[in-house]
Amino acid sequence: MIRQLLERRRAATAPKPGKPPPPDPSEFVLQLIQRTGGAPSALIPILQAIQKEYRYLPEEALKQVCASTEITAADLMGAATFYSQFRLAPVGEHMVSVCHGTACHVKGAEQVDDAIRRRLRLAEGADTDEAKLFTVQEVACVGCCTLAPVVQIDGLTYGYMSTDTVGEALDDFLMLQRRGGTAPTSVDHGVAPVGEVRLALDSCCIAGGTMRVKEAVEKAIADLRASAIVRGISCSGLCHQIPLVEVAVPGKETVTYVRFDPKDAEALVRRHFKPGRITDRLRMAATGLVDRALTDETWQPVTRYAMDTRDPVLCGYMGPQKRIAMEHAGEHPPLDIDAYIARGGFKALDRCLTDLSPDEVIAEVRDSGLRGRGGAGFPTGIKWEKVRAASGSPKYIICNGDEGDPGAFMDRMLLESFPFRVLEGLAIAAYAVGANDAVMYVRAEYPYAVDRIRKAIALCEERGFLGSGMMQGRFALKVSVMEGAGAFVCGEETALIASIEGRRGVPTLRPPYPSESGLWGKPTSINNVETYALAPWIINQGAKAFAAIGTEKSKGTKVFALAGKVRHGGLIEVPMGVTIRDIVERIGGGTPEGTTFKAVQIGGPSGGCLPASLADTPIDYDALASVGAIMGSGGLVVLDDRTCMVDVARFFLSFTQAESCGKCTFCRLGTKRMLEILNRICEGQGRSGDLQKLEVLSGQVKQGSLCGLGQTAPNPVLTGLRYFREEYEAHFEGRCPAGVCKELISYVVTDACVGCTICSQQCPVDAIPMRPFAMHVINDELCTRCDVCRRGCPENAIVIQDRITPRATH
Amino acid sequence: MPQFTIDGRVMTVPDGATVLDAAQLAEIEIPTLCHLPGRPPETSCFVCLVRVEGIGRFLPACATRVTEGMVVHNASDEVRDARRTAIELLLSDHLGDCVAPCQGVCPAHMDIPKMMELTAKGQFRDAHIVVKQAIPLPAILGRVCPELCEKGCRRAAHDGSLSICMTKRFLADHDLETGDPYLPPMDPASGRSVAVVGAGPAGLSAAYYLRTLGHACVVYDDREAPGGMLRYGTSRDVLPLKVLDDEIALIERMGAVFRSGFRIGEQASVEELQQDCDTVILASGDAKSGGHGYEGVDRGPQGIKVDRRTLMTSRPGVFAAGGALLPLKHAIRALADGRIAAYSASEYMTGVHPGETDPGFSVHVGKLDADTVRPYLRFGSSDSRQTPEGGCSAGFTIAEVQREASRCLQCGCPVASTCSLRAASQEYGAQPLHFSGARREFGYDDSHPDIIFDSGKCTACGICVRIAAEGREELGVGFTGRGFDVRTSVPFSSAMVEGLRDVALACADACPTGALVRKTDL
Repeated sequence: MIRQLLERRRAATAPKPGKPPPPDPSEFVLQLIQRTGGAPSALIPILQAIQKEYRYLPEEALKQVCASTEITAADLMGAATFYSQFRLAPVGEHMVSVCHGTACHVKGAEQVDDAIRRRLRLAEGADTDEAKLFTVQEVACVGCCTLAPVVQIDGLTYGYMSTDTVGEALDDFLMLQRRGGTAPTSVDHGVAPVGEVRLALDSCCIAGGTMRVKEAVEKAIADLRASAIVRGISCSGLCHQIPLVEVAVPGKETVTYVRFDPKDAEALVRRHFKPGRITDRLRMAATGLVDRALTDETWQPVTRYAMDTRDPVLCGYMGPQKRIAMEHAGEHPPLDIDAYIARGGFKALDRCLTDLSPDEVIAEVRDSGLRGRGGAGFPTGIKWEKVRAASGSPKYIICNGDEGDPGAFMDRMLLESFPFRVLEGLAIAAYAVGANDAVMYVRAEYPYAVDRIRKAIALCEERGFLGSGMMQGRFALKVSVMEGAGAFVCGEETALIASIEGRRGVPTLRPPYPSESGLWGKPTSINNVETYALAPWIINQGAKAFAAIGTEKSKGTKVFALAGKVRHGGLIEVPMGVTIRDIVERIGGGTPEGTTFKAVQIGGPSGGCLPASLADTPIDYDALASVGAIMGSGGLVVLDDRTCMVDVARFFLSFTQAESCGKCTFCRLGTKRMLEILNRICEGQGRSGDLQKLEVLSGQVKQGSLCGLGQTAPNPVLTGLRYFREEYEAHFEGRCPAGVCKELISYVVTDACVGCTICSQQCPVDAIPMRPFAMHVINDELCTRCDVCRRGCPENAIVIQDRITPRATH
Repeated sequence: MPQFTIDGRVMTVPDGATVLDAAQLAEIEIPTLCHLPGRPPETSCFVCLVRVEGIGRFLPACATRVTEGMVVHNASDEVRDARRTAIELLLSDHLGDCVAPCQGVCPAHMDIPKMMELTAKGQFRDAHIVVKQAIPLPAILGRVCPELCEKGCRRAAHDGSLSICMTKRFLADHDLETGDPYLPPMDPASGRSVAVVGAGPAGLSAAYYLRTLGHACVVYDDREAPGGMLRYGTSRDVLPLKVLDDEIALIERMGAVFRSGFRIGEQASVEELQQDCDTVILASGDAKSGGHGYEGVDRGPQGIKVDRRTLMTSRPGVFAAGGALLPLKHAIRALADGRIAAYSASEYMTGVHPGETDPGFSVHVGKLDADTVRPYLRFGSSDSRQTPEGGCSAGFTIAEVQREASRCLQCGCPVASTCSLRAASQEYGAQPLHFSGARREFGYDDSHPDIIFDSGKCTACGICVRIAAEGREELGVGFTGRGFDVRTSVPFSSAMVEGLRDVALACADACPTGALVRKTDL
C-alpha cells in the first residue's frame, strides 16, 4: 500500500487543494516578533514558532529575525544549528522518528531503522523518500522505553516495532491520515453520573494503544447509551500491562483490566453499565450481542485480562515499591486540581507560608537528607541555603525537566501525571530561596508534558495557588515554561541557563555556581523535577519520616524507569537501599524466558554497566559510585546474555559524542576518537594497543572536560573494560560472544529447516535462494544481518553463529 | 593576596589572579591556545590544564583563580601526558602540514618552498643560499640525487610534481657560472680542530659546516683525491668531473685541508687522531666490525653504532656519519648526516648549540588524491611540469626554471613559526598521528582583501568569534553545529569579506593557528 501511495504521489505534482499556502516568511516573522519581543532570550521560542509554521527554518525568515531584533546573525545561526530540533532544509510531509534510546537500541532499533529506509526505498545517505512523503530521522530517547523499539510518525507513536511490522505501521498511519487523523484529544474531567472508565493517557500509554481503547470505549458508551464517562488518569507505573483500563462504579469494587483489546470495549461497557433502554437491548439481541454479553463463555476474553492484585507477579511488582513522588498514582486525572486538593494537595505549601519561615523550610529539607535527583546528588537543602544566602536580586528558580538520558522517562511521567505536585514543590522551593520567578524547562520531545504543565500552571493561577496574589496574597510566584530544543547537554545547569538566555547550550566553568551567578547573572536554584515532587511530602510528613527511609547517606525514594530485557518494565519508585537484584528480579520479574540476567545499565550515558555479580549493590549514591556507576536520573536498563557489552558501550558513546556541545577539546575530539576505536573493535578491526589507548583516553576525557557530560561520558566504557574485559578481547579475536556485532556473526539455517520458503520470501536482499521442501542456505556475503528471517522462521531453524566467511578488511 | 604552591614553589599572588597569571609572574611556562590576554577565558582548548590537589579533575589554568593554600601541579607526568593528549586530539583534526611535505621528506630538509618562491621571482642567488643552507654540494646532488622530495610533492596528485632537483641544479650551476660562486659566511676561528675521516659526501658535508662554525678541519681519505663514491663510484656521464672538482674546490677555499692516503688503523688509530684534535668525525664508507684502530668505538656488522640524535659514537668526542653507520644508497643522506655530525661535534667542543638541522614539528595531512588536493591548487601557476628543452643534461633555461618554480603550491603553513599549536606540539613531543580518524574538510576563503580563512586549521577556540562579537560586526563569525561538527563560519554561508569588516586583522593576529592569516604573511 505504501508503495502504491508513493507512486501515486510521484504522479501527482500539483499541490494538495484546500491547504492554505504558508504565509510570507518575512511577514510571519514580523508578526511573530510582536508577540515574542526581540530580546536575545526570545531566540529559541522564535525559532520554534518559525519551524512550527514552515516545518523547517527558511533562510528568509531567519534573516528577517536578525533584521528586526537585537539577535545577531552569529547567535541565531549558532542556536539554529546547535539544537537538534531545528532543521535548515525542507522535509517530507511526515516525520518518521526512530527512537534510538537505550531500550530501543538493545531491542533492535537499528534493524527497524534499516527496515524503514528499505521500505521507503531511501538511497544511501538520503532521509526523505522521492515523493517527499516521509522524512526519516534518528531521535534521542522519546521516553517510551517500555514499548521499545518505538517509532513516532508525526504525533503518533508505534511501539514494539520489528523489521516485519514496519510496513504495517506506515500503512496504518497513512490510513489514519486519510480517515482524518486521530490526534490525541484532551480528556473530559467531569464527574461520573453512574460510573467511569479510567484510562491513563500519558505518552507511553497513548503509544501503547490507549487512545484506540478510549475511542472504542467511548463509541461503545455512545452506542449503548450507557451512563458512564471516560476519564484520563495519571500513570500507574504498570507500563508492562498497558493498555490498562479501570472501571469504577460507585459502591462497587473497582475492576482493572490489563492489556485491554479495543475489540472488547463493547462487552466491557455491557458488563458494567446497564444499557440505557430496553429497545437497545432488543436491537442488540437481534444482532446476537446480548447473548454474547450474557454467557460466561463470551466473557472469557475480557475477564482473562482482569488484573488481580493477589497475582504474584503484581504483588512482586508493587511489593518493594514506596511511592512518594508518585503518591496516588493512577487515582485521579492529572489535571483534576480538586482531586489533587482532596488528597492533601497544596497543604504543604500552605503550611510553609503559614507556619514556617524560609529558613525553617530549608532546615526541614536539609534534615530530610534529600539529595538532588538529577544525577549528581548534591544535598538540596544546602543548595537552597546557598541561594537564599547569596546577595543579588532578583533570584530565580528553575525546574530542570530536560530529561535527556536515553532510557529514562521519570521526569516526563511526573510532569504528565503529577503536574500539581511538581508545581507545589517548585513553589515551596521558591519561597525557601526567596524567588518570585520560576522557569519550567521541559524538553520539546515531551509534548504532552509541556501541554499539561502549561495547563496546570493556568489552573493554579486561576485558583490562586500560583501567581501574583497566590495563597491569599501571602506569596507571589510567576512560572513560565521554556521548551528545550533538543540538546542533551542542556541538562547541565550552566548549559540550561545559556539555553534559557537564548544562546547555544554550552556549559561554562563552575565556579561561579548558579547559586551565586545563574540566570541573567543572578542567584539561581536549579533542581530536577523529581526533587521538587518530593518536597511537598517532606513538608507534610516531616524530615524525620523521609530520613527514616533509605540508607545512611541516601534518603527517601528514587523513581526509576525500568526497561530493557525485563519482563515487567515500567515506572517504579523504590526506597533507597533496595538492591539492584530486588528491582530486576522481584519488581521486574527477571529477564525474558530463555535468557539470563547479565548486567544492568544504570545512570544512562553517564552511568555504568554493572554485572549480575554486583546485583546486590544497594541503590545508594555512594555505593553505586564505588562500583563505577552513578545514581543518575533514574534510567535502569536490564541487559541479558544476548546483549553485547562492547556494543552497549559504543551505543552510549555514540550518544554522548553526538550530544557533546563541542567546546572542550577532550570531549569534542576525545569522545570521537574513543567511538572510532569502539567501532573498530565491534567490527573485529581492533588494533593492538587499542584497549590501552581507549583506557588512557577515557581517563583523560573524564578529567579534562568542563561539564558533567564529558566528565562521565567514558563511564560506560570504563565499567565495560572493568567488568567485561574478556568480551572486548573476544572481539579482537573476531568473535562477538553475544552474537550482536554484525561484522562478527553469521545467520545460519540448521537442519530443523522444513523448506517452507518463508525466509526466502521475506529476505529483503535475496540472500536466501528459494528451495521448497529442502533445507535453505543463507548467502553470507549478501546477508545484511537484518534478522527478518530468524524472526519469521516458524521452526526456529535459523541461528546466529560466529562469522563463517572472512570479513572484508578496510 | 593568597599564598599558594606551584610545582613546589610557594608564591603570593594578587587577589583574583588566575593560576596562569601566577605562573607568568613566576616565569613558569604554561602553554595556551584559546586564551587571549585581557579577555575573559574561553576554557575550550584545555592545553593549559593543571592539577589542583584535592580536585578530581584537571582545571584550566586560564580560568582557575588562585585561592589560599592551593597546591598546583603544572609539570607532573600526568599533567604533561594530558596536555599532550589535548594537543594530539587537536592535531588529529587539523588539516595542514606545518612543513611542506617535500621539505619533510628531503633527508637534508632543504627549504624547498622558499627556494621555489625566490627562483620564481628570479632571485637566483638568494634561492641558491637557501639550498646551500642544507645541501653543501647542490650542483653534484642536482645530478645524482634520487629526488625523494619530489615523491612528497602535493602537486604530484594533480599534474606532476615540481622538478625540484632540476631547479636546485640550475641554481648551483648558475652560481658556479657567475665566476663568483657563493661562499657561506664563516664564524671567526674558534681555535678548535676536527679530524674528519673520509672525503666522501658525508665527510665533505661535515667539513663544510665545521668551517662555517669556525673550526679547523682536516679531511683524511685513503684515495688520492677527495669525493669518495662521487668520484670513484659514479659515471662521468651522470656527474662530469668538472662539476665535482668545482664544488669540492669551494670547500677547500673555505679552509678545509684534505689529506690523502690515510686509513684508520694504518696511519693512525681513532685514539691517536683524538690526541691531535678536539673531536673526530668518522665518515669513511666502510667501517664495519673488523679492522683495527677503532678502540672504544662500538661497531656492528652494518657499521658504527651511534646515538641517533647526535651521531656520537660510544667513544666520547668521536662522531660518525654517512656510510660509516650503515651502507647508504643515497648521497643526500650522507650529506644530511655530515651536517648533524658537524653540529654535534661543534656543540660538544663549545657547548653552544649551532641550530636545528631539521625543520621541526609538522602535522601530516597524509596522501591526497586528485580530488582532495584541489584546495591546494589556489597557489601556483597552471603550467604543467617543465622539461628542459635542451635535454636533461643541459638543465633548465632561465625561463624554464622560473616557469617551473612558479608551479609550487607553497603547501607549508605560512605561520608555522608563530603557531601556538605547533609550538606546544614541539614542546610536548606530540605525535601528530597518535589519534587518527575522521577529520574536518578543507576549506579556503580568500574573499577578504586582508586575510585568508583556512578553516581546515581551525581549532574552534572561539577567539575570533568573541572579537567579532565585541567589534559588533553585523554578520561576524560564529560557531555552528555541535560536538565534533562544530565549525567557525560566517552566518548564512556568507564569505569572510562579508563577515569581518572591521576586525579582520585583529582576528588574524589573535588566531593561535594558521586558520586566519594576514595576506601579507603569505
